[in-house]
Amino acid sequence: MTARSLADALRAASDDALAELLGARPELLSPVPSDLGQLAARATGAPSVARALDRLDRWTLNVLEAACIAADRTPGEPISYADLRGMLAAADEPDVRRAVDRLLTLALLWGDDDGLNVVIGAREVVGTQPAGLGPPLQVLLGAVSPWVMLAMLDDLDLPAAANTGEAIDHLVAYVNDSDRLDAELATAPREALALLEKLAWGPPSGGVERADREVRTATASTPVEWLLARALLVASDPRTVALPREVGLHLRRGQAFAHPQPTAPAVVVAGVRDRVDPTAGAQAFSFVRATEELLEAWGLDSPPLLKAGGLGVRELRRAAALLDVEEWETALVIETAYVAGLLGPSGEIDDGWLPTPAYDLWRSTPPEERWATLASAWLRTTRSAGLVGSRDDRDRVAATLGPDLDRTLAPEVRGGVLTVLADAPPGAALDAAEIEAVLHWTRPRRPAGLRRALVEWTLREAERLGVAGQGALSGPGRALLRGEADDAADALAPLLPDPLDHVLLQADLTAVAPGPLVSDLAQALALMADIESTGGATVYRFTESSVRRALDAGRSADDLHSLLAKHSTTQVPQPLTYLVDDMARRHGRIRVGAAASYIRCDDESVLSELLVDKRAAELRLRRLAPTVLIAQASGELVLERMRSFGLAPAAESADGAVLVRRPDSRRTQSRQRPPRLATELAAPSAKLRAAAVRALRAGDRATHAPRGRTVAGMAGAGVLPRTAAAQTLALLQAALEHGAAVWIGYVDQHGSVTERVVDPIRLEGGYLTGYDHRYEEVRTFAVHRITGVATLEAGDSEFGDVSENGNFDLDPRTTEVRGPA
Amino acid sequence: MTDGPLIVQSDKTLLLEVDHELAHECRLAIAPFAELERAPEHVHTYRLTPLGLWNARAAGHDAEQVVDTLLRYSRYAVPHALLVDVADTMGRYGRLKLMNHPAHGLVLESTDRAVLEEVLRSKKIQPLMGARLDEMTVAVHPSERGHLKQVLLKIGWPAEDLAGYVDGEAHPIALVEEGWSLRAYQRDAADNFWAGGSGVVVLPCGAGKTIVGAAAMARAQATTLILVTNTVSARQWKSELLKRTTLTEEEIGEYSGARKEIRPVTIATYQVMTTRRKGVYAHLELFDERDWGLIIYDEVHLLPAPIFRFTADIQSRRRLGLTATLVREDGHEGEVFSLIGPKRYDAPWKDIEAQGYIAPADCVEVRVTLSDHERMAYATAEPEERYRLCATAASKTRVIERLVERHIGAQTLVIGQYLDQLDDLGERLGVPVIKGETTVRERERLFEAFRTGEVHTLVVSKVANFSIDLPEASVAIQVSGSFGSRQEEAQRLGRILRPKANGGTARFYAVIARDTVDQDFAAHRQRFLAEQGYAYRIVDADDVMADGEV
Repeated sequence: MTARSLADALRAASDDALAELLGARPELLSPVPSDLGQLAARATGAPSVARALDRLDRWTLNVLEAACIAADRTPGEPISYADLRGMLAAADEPDVRRAVDRLLTLALLWGDDDGLNVVIGAREVVGTQPAGLGPPLQVLLGAVSPWVMLAMLDDLDLPAAANTGEAIDHLVAYVNDSDRLDAELATAPREALALLEKLAWGPPSGGVERADREVRTATASTPVEWLLARALLVASDPRTVALPREVGLHLRRGQAFAHPQPTAPAVVVAGVRDRVDPTAGAQAFSFVRATEELLEAWGLDSPPLLKAGGLGVRELRRAAALLDVEEWETALVIETAYVAGLLGPSGEIDDGWLPTPAYDLWRSTPPEERWATLASAWLRTTRSAGLVGSRDDRDRVAATLGPDLDRTLAPEVRGGVLTVLADAPPGAALDAAEIEAVLHWTRPRRPAGLRRALVEWTLREAERLGVAGQGALSGPGRALLRGEADDAADALAPLLPDPLDHVLLQADLTAVAPGPLVSDLAQALALMADIESTGGATVYRFTESSVRRALDAGRSADDLHSLLAKHSTTQVPQPLTYLVDDMARRHGRIRVGAAASYIRCDDESVLSELLVDKRAAELRLRRLAPTVLIAQASGELVLERMRSFGLAPAAESADGAVLVRRPDSRRTQSRQRPPRLATELAAPSAKLRAAAVRALRAGDRATHAPRGRTVAGMAGAGVLPRTAAAQTLALLQAALEHGAAVWIGYVDQHGSVTERVVDPIRLEGGYLTGYDHRYEEVRTFAVHRITGVATLEAGDSEFGDVSENGNFDLDPRTTEVRGPA
Repeated sequence: MTDGPLIVQSDKTLLLEVDHELAHECRLAIAPFAELERAPEHVHTYRLTPLGLWNARAAGHDAEQVVDTLLRYSRYAVPHALLVDVADTMGRYGRLKLMNHPAHGLVLESTDRAVLEEVLRSKKIQPLMGARLDEMTVAVHPSERGHLKQVLLKIGWPAEDLAGYVDGEAHPIALVEEGWSLRAYQRDAADNFWAGGSGVVVLPCGAGKTIVGAAAMARAQATTLILVTNTVSARQWKSELLKRTTLTEEEIGEYSGARKEIRPVTIATYQVMTTRRKGVYAHLELFDERDWGLIIYDEVHLLPAPIFRFTADIQSRRRLGLTATLVREDGHEGEVFSLIGPKRYDAPWKDIEAQGYIAPADCVEVRVTLSDHERMAYATAEPEERYRLCATAASKTRVIERLVERHIGAQTLVIGQYLDQLDDLGERLGVPVIKGETTVRERERLFEAFRTGEVHTLVVSKVANFSIDLPEASVAIQVSGSFGSRQEEAQRLGRILRPKANGGTARFYAVIARDTVDQDFAAHRQRFLAEQGYAYRIVDADDVMADGEV
C-alpha cells in the first residue's frame, strides 16, 4: 500500500529506521513529539528541514534539488525515481540510489520508487531556483500583463485565450513542447543563442533596462527582444529578465546538473612530512607549559575583568610578552584554559581572572593528560580564539574571554578540518584552500566567509596545540579526533621528553635543565632563580633578588645549598655558593614591623616597670631597645592610659618634636554659610541688569506674543500651546523654512512643563536644535517632549498666514486636554 | 627523539651541552650562523639573530644548511615557527644587490620586484636613489653606497655588496716569517677576509690580531691606513709591522696628536681622527689623502660614531675590522655589519687557549671586608662618591700589597681607575706608575723595562687597557674599574693572556670591597668573563692575608 503522507510513511517505517532518523536529525527530539503525526509535522517544517539541509553534502543536496524540480513539473503529483534518475543521467546509479536513500532516511523524501514526495519544507528551503534554474513560466507570467500575453499568443500562433488563465496554460504548454522550442531556437540569432547558453548554466536571470517593454516578434531588434517576444525570456520585474525553468531544462537537455559531484573533491597533498609526531609532541609540551606559566602568573596577579566582559587588550599584550609568543597564540592559550575550565572570573567584587580549583587538579596529572584535557576542550568549543581582535558590525573589538567569540560553526569546521587531514595519507600536509574545497562539498550551505577563516585558524591552532605537526595530523591528534582523549594522551606520552631530576649549575650563575624537570624541582628552582629561557630546556638565572625571594619564602641557606647539591650533576660552582651565603647573611638583618605607637624613655627602669604592669597588657607593649617600647594601641590610648597610671607622658610628632596637648576641641567638616534673608539688596551690576532685561523680554514674548495671535481657540494667556505630533512637526518645519521664532511648550527632564521661545536652527532625528531666548543659548529639544508649537514672528502679525494654510487644524484630543486649563 | 647535544629554545637561543660527544662537531656546524653568547663550563649559549644569519649568508651558507644543522643536532623537536623564521630571515639577505653596472655605475639590483618596490617606497631610501633603470634595477649615487647599506639593514633588507673595490695605490708588502710563522687560524682569518672583500675578524685578546692585519696587508699589496685606539698602540703596530713584514721605518707613518706623517702605511689614532676644530673634524680628510687600498680598524667595537659616518663614504675601499668581541655597549653592531662588513672569522677564546696560543687564566675575586670606619664612611657618602670610596678603600691596599708579595718574581700589573689610589699604591709598593699624564717616551721606556724583566711590577691606569703588548705579564691585579664595563674587564684580562715562555697559567685578581657597589659592578663585569668560560673563584681577603690557599 502506498503511503498517503509522511506520517503514514513513518508509521510504516521500522523502529530502526525511525531511530536512524532521530539520530540524524536530533532537533526533532527536542522536545520529544507526542506521536508520529507530530513528528511528521515537525520533520516537514521549514526550520527543521533547513537544519537537516545544512548538514547535507553537495551531492545529496543536488539530488534533493532535482527532486524539487521534478515535483514542480507535476504539481500535486508524486514523482518517480525514474524521473529523478533521468535528470541525473551523468551520475552513476549507485550514487543516485545512495543519495535518495539518505534523503528517505532523513524524511526529506518519502514514498517509494513509483511515488516519491518531497516534503513541503524542503521545497521552501531549496527555494525558487533549484539547481540554478529559474522559476517556472507560470510563476513568471504572474508579473506579465495580459496584453503582453495576448500579443505573445498572437505572435507565436498559439490558440487565442478567453482569459489570463487560459493564456498562461497555452504559453506553458508551448514551453513544455520541446519540438516547438527546438523549432524556435533553430531560427534564433546567434547572439540570442549565446545569451540563452549563458543563462542556462549561470544565474538564470539578468539585468536589462525596461525589461517589461512591449515587444513583438515582428519588431524585435535585439537578441533580448527576440527572446522576450517568444517567451524564452520573461521580464520578472521592470529591470530583470529571467529564463523560464522549462526553457532552462530544455537547454540543459533535461539534466539538472552539468557535472554532478557525487563524491568529495580529491585533495592535493602539499607535502609529506617526516617529523610530524616529534614536532607535534614538542608543540603539545610547550602549549601545556605556556598554559601553566600563564595561570601560575595570573594566580599571583590576576588581570581585571572588563565591564563588557573579557580581558583587556593591554592584559593580552602583557600575557603575550610573558609567554613570548604572538598575541593570537596567547589568546588561544587563554581561551583554551577557559573552555577547559581551568580559568574563570574570580566572582569577587573586584572581579578578575583567576585559575579555578580544577586547575590544581589538572596540574597534578601527567603532562599528556593535561594536554588531552586542553586539546579536547579546544576541539569541542564553540568559542573561537581566532576572532580576538576582530571588529564586529558595530566596530567593537572582540576581546579575549569576551562574550562575542561563540560561533556555532566552529566545532564543526574544526572537526571537519581534522577529518580531511585524517583522510589524507599519513604525514600529508594540506593547504587551507584544499581543505576548504572539501568542506565546501560536505556542507555547502554553511557560510563560506566564516568557514574560510575558521579553516585557517584551525590549522594554525592545531599546529600550536600539537594536534597537528608540520601541517599534518599527528598521532595524538588522530586519537583525539576519534573522541578518545585517553588514547590521545597515551599516544602523546612517548613523544614527550622524560622529566629530569637534575640540572647543570654553572659559574655564570645559571642553571640549565636540559629537559623538563619533575614538578617539585621545577617549582623549587622557579622560586630561587629567574627563568631566562624556555623551550626544550629551561635556563634559570640566580640573582640576588631571586635568592632573596627563596629566603623570603622561608627557605634557609642550608635548604638551598642542599637542594642545589642534590640536583646538580656537577659540583656547585663557588660563586653560586657565595651568592646564597651572602644573601642569607644579609637576609633579615633589617627587620620591619608595624606598631601603632611607641614609647620612649631615657629611664630604662620606667619602661621595665610598664612592661610588667598588668594594667598595660591591653596596650600590647614590646621592648625593642632598653629605652624604646612599641605598642599595638593608638598613641591617644597609650597617652590616656599612662596618665591614668599616674605618669606624665608627652606626645611626640612624626619628626620627634613634643606636641603641645590641649583639650580636644572639635570642628564640623567645612560647611557653607547659612542663607541670608534679603533685607536691603545691593544694586545689581549693569551686566546682571542687562541680562535680567533680556530674560524678562524673552519671557514676555513667550507669554504675550502668541496671545490672540494663535489660531482661534488655541491659546489664551499663559496657556501652553498644544498640538498633535504631526502638527508639531509641520509647524516646526514651517517655522524653520520661514526662519520664524516659535513658542513651544516643553516637558523638561523633571517632568515639569516650561514654555520657551526658540529660533529653530535644525530639525533632525527627532530633535529640534534652536536658539532658546530664555537661556540665551543654543539648545536641543526632543520633539516628543514638545507639547505644542505656536509660531510667532518676532512680535508682528505675519505668521497669521500660516494659520490660514490650515496648518492649525486641531486634533480633538488636544482640545480636550486643554479644556481644564 | 634523537640524543643530540643541542637544545633549541623558543627564544632563539641554542644551548650546547659541551660534555656531549658530538659537542665539538656541533659547535663547528653552528658557529657560522649562531653567535656565541655565553660559554660557561657545561652549557654554551648561542643565539640566532638576524645579523648572525645574514653573516652566515654572506659567508655562503644557506637556510637549508642552517635548518638541517639544527635538526641534525637538536635533542628535541625544533619549533616549526623558528625554522620558518630562520628561512625567512636568511631569505631576506641578497634579494637586493649592489652591483657595478658597466654603463650606469653603481646600481641596486633586485631579484624580487616586490622587495624593490617596498624598499623604494621607504622615505629614508628615496633620497639615496638615482634613476630607475628598469624593473629590477635602480641607480644609486656612488657616495651613498654606505649610507644605503646602513638604511637597508635597518629596514630589514640587507644588501649584498658586490660592487667591488678599488685596488688603491699599489705598494709591495710581504710577510717576513723568520723565527715565527703565521698560525693556522690567523691564515684562515686573513683568507676569509680577503675572499669576502671586507669584514670583521673576531679573535680574543692576545691571539695576534696585529698579525692578521699584516697578513691582510700582504694580500692587498697596497697602501694601507690603520686606525688604532691610542698612540702607544700605534707605536706597537709600527714595531710589529717592522718585525713581521718587509716594510721599513720610512714606509710607515704615524698620524697622531704628536706627529702627522702620511706614508704608504699610515697608523692613525681614533682620537686624532675625531678631534674637532671649530666644530669640524679636521683630520677626516686623511681618508682621502691617499688612494688607500686597505683600511684596518683596530678594536672595532670601540669605533667612535664620527668614524662610522666617514666610513660610510669610503665603501669602495677594502675594510678590515679587528676585535675581540662584537659586543658593543652602545648596541651599534648593525653599523659594524653594514659599514665595515660581515663577520668573516671568529674563534672562541677557549679554542685558541686549547691550541696553546693564549695562556690559560685563573680568575680570582678577592673580597675584602671593609673596616667599620670605612663602612660608616661608605654608608654616609653621597651616591656619586660611593663607588670611588669603596673602590679605593684603604683595607684593599693591604690586600694588594700582600698579593704582590705572594707573586714576587712574576711580572705583575696592578690596574686601577683612580689616580690617587694608583699613586699611593706605587709609593707603597715602590714601583713606577703609568697614567694618562706619563709621557709617551716614559711609558715606552717603562713598558720596555717590564718586557725585559728589569721591572717586575707596574701600576697602570686605564691607559694600559688596550693594545699594549706585555707578553710576560702573568699576574694582573685589578683594584678598581670603570664601574661595570664588561669591555674593560675583557681587555684587562687580555693583557695577561699572551702565552708565557714557561707555559704557565696567568692569574687575574679582582680586589673588591664586600657588600658595596664595588661588588655589584664586579658581578656585572665578571658575568661577561664567566660567559667566555673564565669562571671566577671567590676568596676571602683574610685567606690572602693569612697565606691560605688561593
